[in-house]
Amino acid sequence: MLSLLAAALLTGCAGGPAAPSVQMVPNLTPAPMGVRDTVYNPLRPAPALRLTDQDGRSFDLTALRGSPVFVYFGYTHCPDICPTTLADIRAAIARAAIPAKVVFVTIDPARDTPAKMKQYVDFYAAGFIGLSGSDADIATAAKAWGVGYTRGPADANGNYAMTHTTESYLVDSAGLLRNHIFFGAPTNLVVSILQTAGG
Amino acid sequence: MNRFLKVRALGAAVLVVVIAGSLAACSGSTGGIQVTGAWARNSAAVTGAGAAYLVVQNTGPTADALVGASSPASKTVEMHETKIIESAAPSAGASMMPSASGGMSSGPMMGMVPVSRIEVPAGGSVELKPGSYHLMLLNLVADLKAGDTIEITLQFEKAGKITVKAEVRAQ
Repeated sequence: MLSLLAAALLTGCAGGPAAPSVQMVPNLTPAPMGVRDTVYNPLRPAPALRLTDQDGRSFDLTALRGSPVFVYFGYTHCPDICPTTLADIRAAIARAAIPAKVVFVTIDPARDTPAKMKQYVDFYAAGFIGLSGSDADIATAAKAWGVGYTRGPADANGNYAMTHTTESYLVDSAGLLRNHIFFGAPTNLVVSILQTAGG
Repeated sequence: MNRFLKVRALGAAVLVVVIAGSLAACSGSTGGIQVTGAWARNSAAVTGAGAAYLVVQNTGPTADALVGASSPASKTVEMHETKIIESAAPSAGASMMPSASGGMSSGPMMGMVPVSRIEVPAGGSVELKPGSYHLMLLNLVADLKAGDTIEITLQFEKAGKITVKAEVRAQ
């Protein structure tokens, strides 16, 4: 009886939040083992990226030459993959202490208008550039970068999720497409990639 | 055993039930189920969605399952699993071909699927974390800002409702 009592007392309240775990599950795309596994060979100029930014202005990726640029295709209604990726990129940039730019391109232009992209990037207050455009322009950009995407079924409230490829891309300051980074790449790997690509 | 011992045993059993019942009212655990490490990522309300993560430990002898959740922070809460979607076909105009990328194939299509239950085996645990199972807070009532705390009520099949506080983090 006493041991039962003790057991009951021991199933007490949980303590404070445990240390957060942002490790990716092992059965997702196996992350490349090193920088070399992500490198485009041969290097070539980054594909064209000409869309509309969050202020409604024409954007051309070549205008960012002089800085390394992370390019990532996702959508604002994405609760897990996209915010995780953007947070990972932001953490790597901070740790590498290299002022890389981050360009977030929507594959859901129906909902992610330039105005919506502005609200999204302003919320993160990290200097992200958000790009949108017509369905056709987004499709052209996605095809050029090898990005696939498809819309899922809508629920009763009209919410839907997208299914999409989830790599981020690093363009160096000369405008060359350097790396192809899989979702879940550890921060240290992204830091190495950024440092190798140079400032 | 004799009558006296039986009464004492009954009294002790009642005491155990009363104590276990009062402990169950504490947020975070009940009947062998413990929920720890609850956090949510910061998210703008305009996105319509946020994600929350936590760890469920089942120290009891019976398997249980998380079958639902709710929160004042959003209209509804769903459970989803982020995973590779093998069957996904890219929409017209988008290409999986590596030609534009030169020499490297695109990675797999990924998305999330709704799940109706997340099993927590007896003596086991399950972690809701980025890239895996997560709670999707749909139609946020307000921005989830780093530093906020939100309440989430989890519904377990056997353990019933457990309410936890989740810290909102920018990470």
